[in-house]
Formats: sequence, C-alpha cells, structure tokens
Amino acid sequence: MVLEKKEIEEYLEIMYRKKQKGEKITTTGIADELSVSPASVSEMFKKLEKNGLVRRVPYKGVELTKKGEEVGKSILKKHHLLENFLMLFGLGRRRAHAEACALEHALSKEGERAFERAMESRKNKNAKPLCDLKAGQKGRILYIAGGMGARRRMVELGLLPGTVVKVLRISQYGCPIELLVRGAEIAIGRGMAEKVYVEVVE
Amino acid sequence: MTELTIALAGNPNVGKSVIFNQLTGESQHVGNWPGKTVEKFEGKLNFIGRNIRIVDLPGTYSLSAFSQEEEIAKDFIKKGKPDVVIDIVDAASLEQSLFLTLQLLELDVNVVIALNMIDVAREKGREIDARMLSRLLGVPVVPTIATQGKGIENLMIQSINVAGRKRVKKRFPKDASKRYEYIHRIVKRCQKETAVGPTLTERLDGILLHKYSGYLFLIMVLLLMFFFIFQLGDATSSYIEQVVDYFKQSIPPGISSNALFLFFWRTIVEGVVAGLTVAIPYIIPFYIFLAILEDSGYLPRIAFLTDGLMHRMGLHGKAFIPMFLGYGCSVPACLGCRIMESEDQQFLTAFLATMIPCAARSVIILGVVGAFLGFQWAAGIYLFNILVVFLLGFALSKFIIAKPVGLIMNMPSYKMPNIPSILRRALLQVKQYIFIAFPIIILSTFVINALDFFGLLRYISDFLSPITVGLLGLPSILGITLIVGFLRKELAVVLLAALVGTENFSEVLTPLQMVVFTLVSIFYIPCAATIATLVKEFGWKKAAFVTVFEIAFAIALGTAAYTILPMFGVL
Repeated sequence: MVLEKKEIEEYLEIMYRKKQKGEKITTTGIADELSVSPASVSEMFKKLEKNGLVRRVPYKGVELTKKGEEVGKSILKKHHLLENFLMLFGLGRRRAHAEACALEHALSKEGERAFERAMESRKNKNAKPLCDLKAGQKGRILYIAGGMGARRRMVELGLLPGTVVKVLRISQYGCPIELLVRGAEIAIGRGMAEKVYVEVVE
Repeated sequence: MTELTIALAGNPNVGKSVIFNQLTGESQHVGNWPGKTVEKFEGKLNFIGRNIRIVDLPGTYSLSAFSQEEEIAKDFIKKGKPDVVIDIVDAASLEQSLFLTLQLLELDVNVVIALNMIDVAREKGREIDARMLSRLLGVPVVPTIATQGKGIENLMIQSINVAGRKRVKKRFPKDASKRYEYIHRIVKRCQKETAVGPTLTERLDGILLHKYSGYLFLIMVLLLMFFFIFQLGDATSSYIEQVVDYFKQSIPPGISSNALFLFFWRTIVEGVVAGLTVAIPYIIPFYIFLAILEDSGYLPRIAFLTDGLMHRMGLHGKAFIPMFLGYGCSVPACLGCRIMESEDQQFLTAFLATMIPCAARSVIILGVVGAFLGFQWAAGIYLFNILVVFLLGFALSKFIIAKPVGLIMNMPSYKMPNIPSILRRALLQVKQYIFIAFPIIILSTFVINALDFFGLLRYISDFLSPITVGLLGLPSILGITLIVGFLRKELAVVLLAALVGTENFSEVLTPLQMVVFTLVSIFYIPCAATIATLVKEFGWKKAAFVTVFEIAFAIALGTAAYTILPMFGVL
C-alpha cells in the first residue's frame, strides 16, 4: 500500500505541474514522462477517479479535481523545498532532483515546516542575488532559481552551485554585469543575475 | 587515396572560423545543415598528398543537444563519422573550454586539441604545458596562434597521424559540478598562472565599456560605419549604372528597339542590375564591417552596452545587432536573428528589424522629406521611427515572448581581425544573400513591367484610392508607388518622379503629403525579398502576420499623421 501512495502522489504532482504550465493532461503525455506504458497510466487514472482525485472530461482527457489538485500542489511544494535545500548544501541539480523525488512522499507537514524555517533563516542571512554584489566583490553561488533552460546555459559557461565568481564590472543600468568565472570573462543580463543567489566570500 | 574528413569543434569565439579559413582557403562553400537554419561551412584541402574534407561545426559550449547547434554538432560527430575532430580550445580560458572537450572525449571519435590563442593566454599571465595536458587527456595537443597561422601545419600533421587509430572512449564524472572539479584539477596541473598588470583587453574595456565614453565610442563607430557604407555604396552603385548604360547604348538600335529584346532587357537584365546596384554595393561593406566587429571582439561589447535598452523590448543585448543590420537591408537582418536563443525572440527581433528603414527606404526619407523639407525633418523621421519601433517592441513583447531568455555570453579578448578571413566570410554571406534575394528581385521587376505593359497599374491605383485618397490624403496615383514599393522599395522614389512628371516633388505634393507618404513607405510592408526570408525562417503564417500587421499599422499611422499634424499647425 505504501508503494501505491507514492505512485499516486507522483501522478498528481506531474498532473499539477502540467496544469500550471497550461498543458493538457493526456495518457500518452503522462506515460512519456514517467516512462511507463499508456495502459498502466489509464489503469491508474481509473484508480484516481475512484478516489475522487481526477475526473474524466469527454474529448479532453483527464482533469484534476479540487482534492487532487491540493495533493499535487503540496507534493510539488515539498519537492521544490527539498530540492533547493539539497542544492544549497552542494548537491548537483540532477542528484537533488532525484533525491527530492524520493523524499517528498515521506515528508510530513511538521517536517515540511522545519525545512521551510531552515531555508528561510539560511536565505535571510547570506544569500543575495548576484546583481546586488558590487564591482570587485566575490561570491560563491548557493543556488540558481529559475527554469531548466537558463540553468543549463549557465552550467555550460561554468556557473553552478559552489562556483566562486568575481564581479568585474557593472553596466550603467545595474545589469548586465561582467563576471570572472573559472578564468573566463562572462557577461550576464539582469534577468539571469537575479536568479543566481550567492554568498559573499573574501 | 581515400579522403579524410576532419570536423572542427569548439566554443564560439575561439578562432574556429580563422582556422577553418586558413585550412580551406578558396575552396570553401556555405550551405545550410539539412532541415536547419544553421549555416554549414565546408571546404577542401590537399595536405602532403592527402585529400581532406574540412567541416566547420557550429560553435557550442556543450553537446547536450538542447539547441539546434548542439544537435548538429553531436549528430555529425556520431553519424557523419569524421576521421578526426579538431577541438579548438581557448588557451586564455582553458577551464571553460575543457567542458566541451570532455564531452568530445566521451564519444567514439579521434580527437586532436588545438590550444589556440596562446598569445592571449600569455598576456593574461597563463602559461600552459601542452605536453602535460596531452598526457592528462590522452590526445595530441597542438599550441596554435590561428590569426598568425602558427601551429596550423603541426595541427594537420597530428590529425593525419591519429586518423584511423582506435581511441578508447573515456568516462568522466556525470554530475556537472564534479566534472568542473575534475577539469579544475587538470588545469591546475598544466597551467602556471603569474600575476600580471591589466591586460590590453582590460584597459580597453575600461574605456569602451565605460558608462559615458563607452556609449560615445559606440555611437561614433555606428555613425562612421553608416558614413562609409553609404559613401562607398553610392559610388559603386552609380559606377555600375554607368557601365550598364554604356553597355546598353553600344547595342545596335536595330536590336535595342526590338520588342523581344526590350522585354528581355526590362525583366531579366534590369532585375539583375537592380540587385547589383542597390543591394550589393551596400551589402558587401555592411557584411565586411560586421565581420570586423565580430572578429575584433567588439560585437559582444555592443550587446553589453545595449542590453539595458533592448531588455525593455523583451529582448536582450544581442538583438541590437540584427536590428542595426536592418538599416542596411532587412534580408540579412532577418537572417541575423539566428543569434537569438529562443524562437520567440528570433521572431520578435526580425519583426522589429523589418520596420527599421533599410537603405532603400532611406532613399525615400532623404529623397523626399530630406530634399524638400530639410534635414531636420529627415532626422525627425529617423528618430520617430526608432521611438515607434521601441514602443512596438515594448508592446509586442508582451504577446510574442512566452519566456524571456536573458543575456549570457562570453566576453572574448580583443583581437586584431584577420583580413582574409573577414573578406571570405563576408563574400560567403553575400553569396547566400544573392541566392535568396536575386530571384525575388528579378521576379518583382518582371511583375512591375508586366503590370505596366498591360496598363494595370491604373486600375490598382483606382482600386486603392479609398485608402490613398480617403484615409491618407495622397494623390490617387501614389497607390502605384505603394504597390511597387512592396516589390522593390528602392524604385518608389524613381517611380514617384515618373508618375508625377517631375523630380521636384514640392510642385505636386504638399509638405504634409510628403511626410505622410514617407511614413507610410517606411512602415507599411517589408519588401517581397524580406517576406520570402521571413517565410523561410519562420514559416508562412508568421510571415503573413508580420505583413498584414505592418500594412494596417502603416495605414493607421499615416492616417493619424494626416489628421493630427495639421491640428498642431506644423504642416
């Protein structure tokens, strides 16, 4: 039964994610994402429907009910929390994601709050967006908020949690800023620099 | 002798194209990768009796296949089975470059590393032990200074040496941060770093990226470019015209009055001549200047300086370059939008770039408003155009841009541009331009002449008169110039003169009419060649959207000018 709870939550999380992105929820879409057969997805949909978590809409596929949405939302929140927490302490993004996927189902409401408090205090103390640094200051990247696309491009140029960067120059409007990263000069725009959280180092 | 295939891989701005040029010289040709909008450069080389095919892969930072460029590079190495991949590495920022190198070493292919720009590295106080690097990575490492041709021969010798050998694939840590740690350890072992004073690049950046002098310099560079391009273009263009006229006069009158000959002349020859006199004289210097900006390392600085401004339009600094190209011709401007990362941004940039007055539209601004209302009016129209494009960008970005992608780019060291490399690249791009634009220019000339021949132009202008006369307050006959302007914008002024029977427009048009006519001509529609380019890059739906939008917008703007300007009593 434990396995099933985890599976149900995983489904609801993905559906909620899709809903937020404005994507349609289809059997094949979910099957692709979880790498399972479409047959087992429709099997699962039946179970979810019986439990009042989803409802079928003719010609449209499947929709989350209010109850289903709540479960999905809370799991996704736990996921982000755990992921950010693990990345803050030096885990790579992929590893943190996998770890969070496994842990999110076991985390209780109290546990969630504890993590939240830990994150809050951590954030308030040291982390600040890269664009708040002054020219000449150095910072160690704590975590990078924002989508996969931005993060991937930053990784390609050597910007990832743990990296120490030095601000070389700030343009007139505050951003873009020029950084020294792993011996190379890189310019980064405001939108991106806002997503990179660093702590100042000497 | 069997042919060897060597692929060039590397990050952008590491001197890849310079090495490609040195290897292939005259034999290169440019096309597109199948099904992609990325250019494919290929060339041949005969080296110590071996026939070698060189393929220049797109510059990428990784092979993760998230962008078109990365996908192409990865696909070619995996399926194109090159005998050797030369990985061009920036010695001045070795740590960053090696990220791609590790990915290449994980593939089943022979690799030779070109440790390029060791001179720049030295200036930064970085001395790299190539032999040690080679030992650590298990592949040959050849130090090069591509711009001076140093090390290129050795690079080829090493490549031929390893071709056909079986290299054992390597495995590196999967996690990105572990990977960088691994790279860091390699770099520590083979690179000696000594503290040096500020490098030339740092000192130059102190001025060129400065909040005042940087912008001053940028404006000066742009103005100088314009000045040279238009001076040079004008001179070349009138020279070509003279040659053609001379040629036409030397044809015996018996032939030149022949109807068939006239038909042939007016469709095919005039079309080609138009392409030669209008496009080429302006486009060649434009591409040459662009290549100089690119190779010298100033282009990223332009993006840096203009990022704040472009950001307000939902774009980022790199978009400045295609927009700026728009002042030359909209076709290369649309092609230049490929440098933007996401398709939304490419489309918005192209959209806005088509509204920048190209050289042909500048002829209208200068020839009508500039000549008869004075310089300040022409300048006013240019400024007004910039303002409108900016506001439109601001508004359109809200609808078009789904997810804004921020600016992130390398700031390479300044380099002395390599002249042969610049000229070759410019010529290749001109060739590509000719392939797109010339057929359309010829076809357009044919259509205009056919319409004229059958006396259909009148009907068109009558048909359009509710717009031209009713909304815009222009003489009905100007409807023709708007149609012709769609096909060939630069003909609009010539035709205007022919239609009203004088080159002194002030006799037939009121100042208000001149302003309205010019405004509508600038905005109302991209020319046929531009639409063809938009279709090619973005599909017909988006091209149709741009076209319809711009027609409606120009008419609305013209109507507004016609109604509002007299109210303020300016005209």
